Amino acid sequence: MALTQVSSNKCAGGFQKVFKHDSTELNCKMKFAIYLPPKAETDKCPVLYWLSGLTCTEQNFITKAGSQLAAAEHGIIIVAPDTSPRGCDIEGEDESWDFGTGAGFYVDATQDPWKTNYRMYSYVTEELPKLINANFSTYPDRMSISGHSMGGHGALICALKNPGKYKAVSALAPICNPMQCPWGQKAFTGYLGADRSTWEEYDATVLAASYFGPQLDILIDQGRDDQFLSASQLLPDNLIAVCSEKKIPVVFRLQPGYDHSYFFIYSFINDHIKHHAKYLNAMPHCTATQTSVQSDRPLGPDAQLQ
Amino acid sequence: MDLNDIRGGRLDVISEESEQQDFSRESSTMEAYTVVPEPAGRTFQRFSVNTNESLRFEPCEDSCPSPTGAEDGRDDVFEKGECEGEITSTRNQLLGKVAEMENFAGHLEEIFLTVEENFGRQEQHLEQHYNDVLQTLSQRYDDRETGLQEEKKGKLESLYNQLVACGQALDTSKELIETAQEVYRCQDKRLFLKTVMPVVKRVEEFAKEDVDLSLSTSLEFITPLADLSDVKTMMDSINIVPAPSAPVINPQLPNSATQTSLHVCWSLFSDDTVEYYELYYRPVLEDTPADGTCAPQESKVKVKETHCTVTELLPNAQYELWVTATNTTGISPASEKALYMTVPSPPVIKQRECSSCPEAALIRWESGNTNPVDSYTVELSETGTVGTENSITESIVAVPTCQCLIQLQAGRQYLISVRAVNIGGPSDRSDAITISTTGTFFYLLEDTAHPCLSMSEDGFTIFYGDEELPITAMAFEDNTFTRCVAILGDLIPVRGRHYWEVEVDDETEFRVGVAYEDTERDAYLGANGSSWCMRHIRTPSRHKYEFLHNGWSPDLRITVHPVRIGVALDYDRGTLSFFNANMEQHLHTFHCHFHNYVHPCFSLDNPGALTVHNGIQAPDYTFI
Repeated sequence: MALTQVSSNKCAGGFQKVFKHDSTELNCKMKFAIYLPPKAETDKCPVLYWLSGLTCTEQNFITKAGSQLAAAEHGIIIVAPDTSPRGCDIEGEDESWDFGTGAGFYVDATQDPWKTNYRMYSYVTEELPKLINANFSTYPDRMSISGHSMGGHGALICALKNPGKYKAVSALAPICNPMQCPWGQKAFTGYLGADRSTWEEYDATVLAASYFGPQLDILIDQGRDDQFLSASQLLPDNLIAVCSEKKIPVVFRLQPGYDHSYFFIYSFINDHIKHHAKYLNAMPHCTATQTSVQSDRPLGPDAQLQ
Repeated sequence: MDLNDIRGGRLDVISEESEQQDFSRESSTMEAYTVVPEPAGRTFQRFSVNTNESLRFEPCEDSCPSPTGAEDGRDDVFEKGECEGEITSTRNQLLGKVAEMENFAGHLEEIFLTVEENFGRQEQHLEQHYNDVLQTLSQRYDDRETGLQEEKKGKLESLYNQLVACGQALDTSKELIETAQEVYRCQDKRLFLKTVMPVVKRVEEFAKEDVDLSLSTSLEFITPLADLSDVKTMMDSINIVPAPSAPVINPQLPNSATQTSLHVCWSLFSDDTVEYYELYYRPVLEDTPADGTCAPQESKVKVKETHCTVTELLPNAQYELWVTATNTTGISPASEKALYMTVPSPPVIKQRECSSCPEAALIRWESGNTNPVDSYTVELSETGTVGTENSITESIVAVPTCQCLIQLQAGRQYLISVRAVNIGGPSDRSDAITISTTGTFFYLLEDTAHPCLSMSEDGFTIFYGDEELPITAMAFEDNTFTRCVAILGDLIPVRGRHYWEVEVDDETEFRVGVAYEDTERDAYLGANGSSWCMRHIRTPSRHKYEFLHNGWSPDLRITVHPVRIGVALDYDRGTLSFFNANMEQHLHTFHCHFHNYVHPCFSLDNPGALTVHNGIQAPDYTFI
């Protein structure tokens, strides 16, 4: 669990750092970026996990999204991992941009040859949080998750599969229903096999339909001029329809003129950090009240699901 | 003179009194220090001032005898201790007496001085009076003397004239006799005959002349009876007091008036003796004609004191008052007229027009008086904390109009009341209003409501009925919304943070938000630059939401229909945010720097109801 600092730059009063470590889940060396706000020097801070999209490394988000000022203002640590294992020498790993390297899809692969390394779901939900909480001054119970495109899909499934684990979730142009889109179908077939029923575990729209747990508050931004929206890769309407039916609160904003790029992310990242800050920085007594209300329920749904 | 005698006599009495007083003081002082009491019956001089203010002495028996008797006390050596105790108590009693006596002596001295002073004044007064009488008498004497002299002169003159006339008559007759004798002695008969006839004629004529020998003037002098009645009056009045001079009425003292009464004070000149005063008063009405033809009736009160409380007056009215003093001799002239003012009636707080937020409250009230008052005082006290109950913690004075914006502290409860103030003082407190500074509180502005809107009794629920009103039945006024079935709320004009909630049901189509006070009444909310609102549209398949300003809305989808909408307005940051209050879900934020104050606005786009929830503490998440 040893961390090696790769870089450290002062940023927005705090530090933007990159670390390298040996991942046990992925069986390779992994890099992740972490922004430490000024508050982190003296106090514990909550952590927002950012999952990037296809082809990205830990660098894209920290250099293009402009999240640091808002993170510094709200006192939030942002951890941005890489999007897949790297250098595992798996055949076909680097053949296409939407599968293999840079396209882990935040699933635990069950198919050879991917199943040894491509365990991004466990990496971002288990190994990475443990590593972060062990090495940085954090509140382990105050974490949230967000992402873009494939990372948006990752953020949604992490939140929907782990009720109560994340205080908040949001996404920018997420792949909402991967089972129904070419990207998702390609990735799921590769990582999970042909049995579509195993895909359902990693599909936000399917997961939302069976979600049972503490109330989520999902913020989704989507550029109207996003080429992948019109190419039916993202399918937000399917998710919204399910959430409307299941009464899962979603605010979905269709932003006219915006595309799928980091220019779009940059434009709305502040709203997302504020959305996370609202839940991550909620007064502890409020959290306590919510907890007690939950524990009053006859059947602990959290326990059931976990 | 009598005066001196009286004076001397009185002085003697006074000096005797003082001697006796001195003596008694000496004796009592002596006794205080004499441990062994005198065997013979001691006497104390007891003084009292009776009601006539004259001094009287009452020798009386010793009122503090030693219970064992003076003899016993001296003989019984075994009871020395007891005896000493008694002596001490006796001594203490005596010391008490001495103090009493000294006190009394001081009092007497004072009285003595007063008597002397009064006496001196009286003497002066009498002297002046007698001088007046003497002067009057001597003048009367002079007048009479002059009259007599003149009469005498007239009489002498007339007698003298008579004398002269007699002498002349005598001369004439003498000459006639001589002429007759000469004629008679005339030898020449012819000449005699010639001259005798005229002489005879002259004698005859002379004989005809009647000489008045009676006295032309009476010897008596007319001496009319002297009318000394005025002198007598003067003499009579020497022993009675003069009529008082006009009292001096004081100007109105602060806080001496009530709504219906005035406390009036005046003073007299120290020399005057007054039996009673009569206080006259009448209201000063502004529309009374200058000639006073229909001036209001004056009222009168008779009092013995130099002050009086006049009751049963009109509130907030000016009264003209004057006073006369009367004693047995007569009535003084009236004092100057003073103007007094009764205090106003208490104002009436207009509950439905008051608003508040965590930092302030806007209180509006009705004057409660038909005439204008000078100013208002707003009093506030914090409730709920021990020890401050009912005690005024802050007053805002000299409020010129019927409203006041009061800075308050958040999260408290206050009782606020108002007093009207004029020159006569402050009115009673108005009924208090309770203000909680937990959240922003406002009422809806009924005068802005579209005619199709009706309101619940508490004023927080608006209804848009199913039945369409015919256009003729709609009463559009200047301020009402004419197109959008809307109403404004009366938000307090404070550039802080405000939060309120709106409760709707699934099917209600509504617009809620804020608008400038002068937003166009014939436009839909959100369709212009002076309003910002969230709009809910119910389509057959789903709920649609718009966040409208200038007719434009971002494109967004909300999966859970909010039935309780939180609206958070932050002037400083220039934001207006909407929340699903039940889920703490943020829905949308407008960014706009509101240059003017805005009012909450509510409208129903289809028949239904909408309830405003007010005075709620803004949740933490609303102002991140």
